[in-house]
Amino acid sequence: MSTTLRPRLLPPGGPVSGSRRAARARLNRAVVVVLLALATAVILLPIAIIVFTAFKPATEVNAFPPTLVPGQWTMENFTRIFQELPFVRLIGNSFAFAGGVTLLALLFDSLAAYALARIDFTGRRMLLIAIIASLMIPFQATLVPVYQLASNLGWVNTFAALIIPRAADAFGIFFLRQFFLSLPRDLDNAARIDGASEWRVYWNIVLPNATPAILTLGVFVFVNNWNDLLWPLIFTTDKNMGTLTSGLTLLTGPGGIVPYGVMMAGALVAILPLVAVFMFVQRRFIESVATTGLK
Amino acid sequence: MKRSLTILTAVAAASLALTSCSGAGTGASDNTKAELTFWHGYTEADGKVLNKIVEDFNASQSNVTIKVQTNPWSVIDDTLLPALSSGNGPDIVAMPAERLPVYADKGAFVELDDFYKDSNSNLDKLVPAAADMETVNGHKYGVPSGFVPLAMFYNKALFAKAGITTPPATWSEWIAAAKKLTIDENKDGTPEQYGLGLPDHATVANGVWPSLFYGNGGDVVKDGKAVVDSPENAETLKTWVDAVRNDKISPSGLDGIAGDKLFSSGKAAMYLGGPWMSSIAKESNIDYGIAAVPAGPKEQAASAIGISMGITSQKDGAKTAAAQKFFAYFLQKEQATAWSLGSGWPPLRSDIPASAVASNPVVEALTKQSEFGRPLLPGVVNSTDVLTAVDKLTQRAVAGENIKNLLAETQTSVQKVLDTK
Amino acid sequence: MRRPGRWLTSSSSGRRVPRKEVPMSTTVHRKPQAPRYRAPAPIGGRRRPAVGQRRKNLQALSFLLPALLVLGAFTAWPMVSALRLSFTNASGFGKEKWVGFENYARIFTDPVIINAVVNTGLYALLFTPTAVALALVLALLLNDPRLPFRGFFRTALFLPFIISLAVAAIAWAYLIDPQVGLLNYWLSSAGIRIGNVLQDPVLAMPAVAFVAVWKSFGFYMVIFLAGLQEIPGSLYEAARVDGAGAWTRFRHVTMPMLSNTTAFVLIFALIAALQAFDQIYVMTGGGPYGHTETVVMQIYTSGFRKLDVGFASALSYVLLGATLLLSVIQFVFFGRREREGD
Repeated sequence: MSTTLRPRLLPPGGPVSGSRRAARARLNRAVVVVLLALATAVILLPIAIIVFTAFKPATEVNAFPPTLVPGQWTMENFTRIFQELPFVRLIGNSFAFAGGVTLLALLFDSLAAYALARIDFTGRRMLLIAIIASLMIPFQATLVPVYQLASNLGWVNTFAALIIPRAADAFGIFFLRQFFLSLPRDLDNAARIDGASEWRVYWNIVLPNATPAILTLGVFVFVNNWNDLLWPLIFTTDKNMGTLTSGLTLLTGPGGIVPYGVMMAGALVAILPLVAVFMFVQRRFIESVATTGLK
Repeated sequence: MKRSLTILTAVAAASLALTSCSGAGTGASDNTKAELTFWHGYTEADGKVLNKIVEDFNASQSNVTIKVQTNPWSVIDDTLLPALSSGNGPDIVAMPAERLPVYADKGAFVELDDFYKDSNSNLDKLVPAAADMETVNGHKYGVPSGFVPLAMFYNKALFAKAGITTPPATWSEWIAAAKKLTIDENKDGTPEQYGLGLPDHATVANGVWPSLFYGNGGDVVKDGKAVVDSPENAETLKTWVDAVRNDKISPSGLDGIAGDKLFSSGKAAMYLGGPWMSSIAKESNIDYGIAAVPAGPKEQAASAIGISMGITSQKDGAKTAAAQKFFAYFLQKEQATAWSLGSGWPPLRSDIPASAVASNPVVEALTKQSEFGRPLLPGVVNSTDVLTAVDKLTQRAVAGENIKNLLAETQTSVQKVLDTK
Repeated sequence: MRRPGRWLTSSSSGRRVPRKEVPMSTTVHRKPQAPRYRAPAPIGGRRRPAVGQRRKNLQALSFLLPALLVLGAFTAWPMVSALRLSFTNASGFGKEKWVGFENYARIFTDPVIINAVVNTGLYALLFTPTAVALALVLALLLNDPRLPFRGFFRTALFLPFIISLAVAAIAWAYLIDPQVGLLNYWLSSAGIRIGNVLQDPVLAMPAVAFVAVWKSFGFYMVIFLAGLQEIPGSLYEAARVDGAGAWTRFRHVTMPMLSNTTAFVLIFALIAALQAFDQIYVMTGGGPYGHTETVVMQIYTSGFRKLDVGFASALSYVLLGATLLLSVIQFVFFGRREREGD
């Protein structure tokens, strides 16, 4: 097994050709950075709007000509959020809901994906097709039956209704199965020969080696649930159960329309935890390359 | 079989409760305790006033408690179906009036014909047009909590600059003023300032074009029949499409939200909107005035924004009776006045004059226009598809398509919608 | 000098170990010359000693059970329920009547639905390739460990994905509003007019597809990045030693090694495209006059606005059928390369 890490790779070839190549690579990289910076600027423009609007007074939000940067910075949009919403409770609920779904889904999905990728059981292919097919029905179509079931179980207005229906999802199972398949079998087969059980192979070998995939899926599940508006609103009518995203809808203004400044301030506050999660995760991508020992 | 039996018993229980209620009057006590939930979408200052009325009602009752649940209107519409599907729904729910018929038609609401006949219900005092919103398939299914015709908001500063002193009162004055207020300084064909914000789809409460149709004696649906394809409507469309396309008095392709923004950014001098426009304008430092929608050649009328409250039929008779008590309480003169002032909408009772709400000049102005209000598509079960057809008609007309063909096409599709049950 | 696949066979042979268990007797777990693709074994051919297979089945079941319980109760059962409803005139509450195939017949005769189907197809064609290609290109660029500001770019490009859609749609509307929009204002100051794209019958669909690409490419990019992490660096090293240029390395190392990921992203981008709803609902509401109306918007309108849950369920099943068909076609074209899969 190769233990060479790409970052440590020495440029092959003679010293002369190597330095020329290195110079060219540096130039290429500079061009790439410039292009990326331009693309990023365009991609971030709407986000800049969100950030700056959050600090604009209402008169400026609606003014013409429009501006990007506030002429007069204000915290009034944020004050309104913190004054009118039980902020700590909402954010706690959001973490409980999105975090609970993420933890359970990562566990259940990876278990199922392991079986689908590594154990040759009867009906495996049929099960895989059924799981993928279940993604092809829009959730709007099954929402009413799902609600009826949760209601019959007495789960309405509990975290169970929010979390358990999403504790496993077809997307995650298929996603992890794909990554488990691309992991070399050398390691797990060697462990099996040493007498390791499937559980140990799953826990000690496959899971640690699939860190980038697990983290990616974790971010996806967390973000989707964190931002989900309708799900918490449908399953919980008790205001104490509200999440940050659903709570922000209550800050409506005239005509039932949320004032844009307040909405953007809310959006900004709501995505900060997500940005933190992602920054943590994207660092781990790089680390995982060095730690898996496979590369 | 089992289901129909349950329905039968529910009806029997409801009528029993009803007789006991009407016999003994609204203050009467019966021994069953009822706890009701009430969903509504009044999320601002108006919500606080409504919740206060509910609290006062609870205090006045020994056996009834109403718990309020507030959510934006669109959220109520999205969550009501799953909730009803498993019997978790609210006992009372408020919704935009044009949404009531479809729920009523599918059996979601208790029929209220007897309650309307009850002299203690206060329903005989309602503004008649508001009561019209509640009839579906010949029966009453709801009680209005709001009824206000669209009004014209105008920018006083822009009026003064153009030398216009009084808001237009007729269509011809209206169009003349709009032309005068449309300014294209750099002559690039795109004005920097528009005389009017005239949305051509998703308009405020879907009422802008129906209002214009009424003004010239036209309509969309009458007595369950499509009447879109009329010479009056053709004339209306031609007049306003010409004004938008040739005189550029308004941008084309505008929707209600973009229209709000156009007015609040000071780029449009006039706009048709709901009571909340006054808050938006104030927030944006626009010095505004309120006038009635100018009279058309045939009539002065405006489509009304309406909110209805219904009693869901999933619950027992005691709750129905309790909910009716609340409605009667809500419509008492004192509560109706407080609600009007608090919500910024005109009073629902015809015996409360504009002078009684003069402490809020916006409400006073709107109350004076109450008589022009007409309910939007009352009793039309599939209002969703009818409104889509009207949006399509006006949007394509403003985009320059042949009005005659469009009207014929819309007539066919609206009639088809009305025919399928 | 091009020898496709050479670096694969020289250093990553472990990846092509046959799927079946290596016999316990042998310690060789690398089989460099194993056939790359295995034809699916005929059903009879898979049979093993009954006891071993039963043990495997039980083992698999213990791994699958939690997920199957959840999916069974909250996905499979509701799907069965929806299938039953699709043959009724149910409103979701109150009485319902069996109507046979009436709902399905309506789907294929209603011009509104047919329009939505055509739009959805167009949207999928605009969205899927653009989002996937953009994600792949950016992932490749950002995978270079010596790229300056790599972490910043990764986070910045991922930001659109984590912003809630309603907010993103409003931000875009604020930018491109033809009257008061910031971008429009800037451009018109420079004498350029982009007009009212969201209200233009031709441009509205590309515009909403563009916003969808903007919103979701970051996620696909991260999936590609995760996939790239799994390619052993030794493969590139071997390729470099053999003098392969950047393009050759991409074509003969990256692409084959990334084919699982690519197939996965393509299938899920397609499924997402065929279920387009949120950003269209917020940005155009299906307009101008139906030009951005999609199938799922019709499902939503029928179910939650018109309380015609039976029809909405039938339409959902038609969508499921169409998606399945397209996925199979896509799989036949792109998915062949799937390594190791069965």
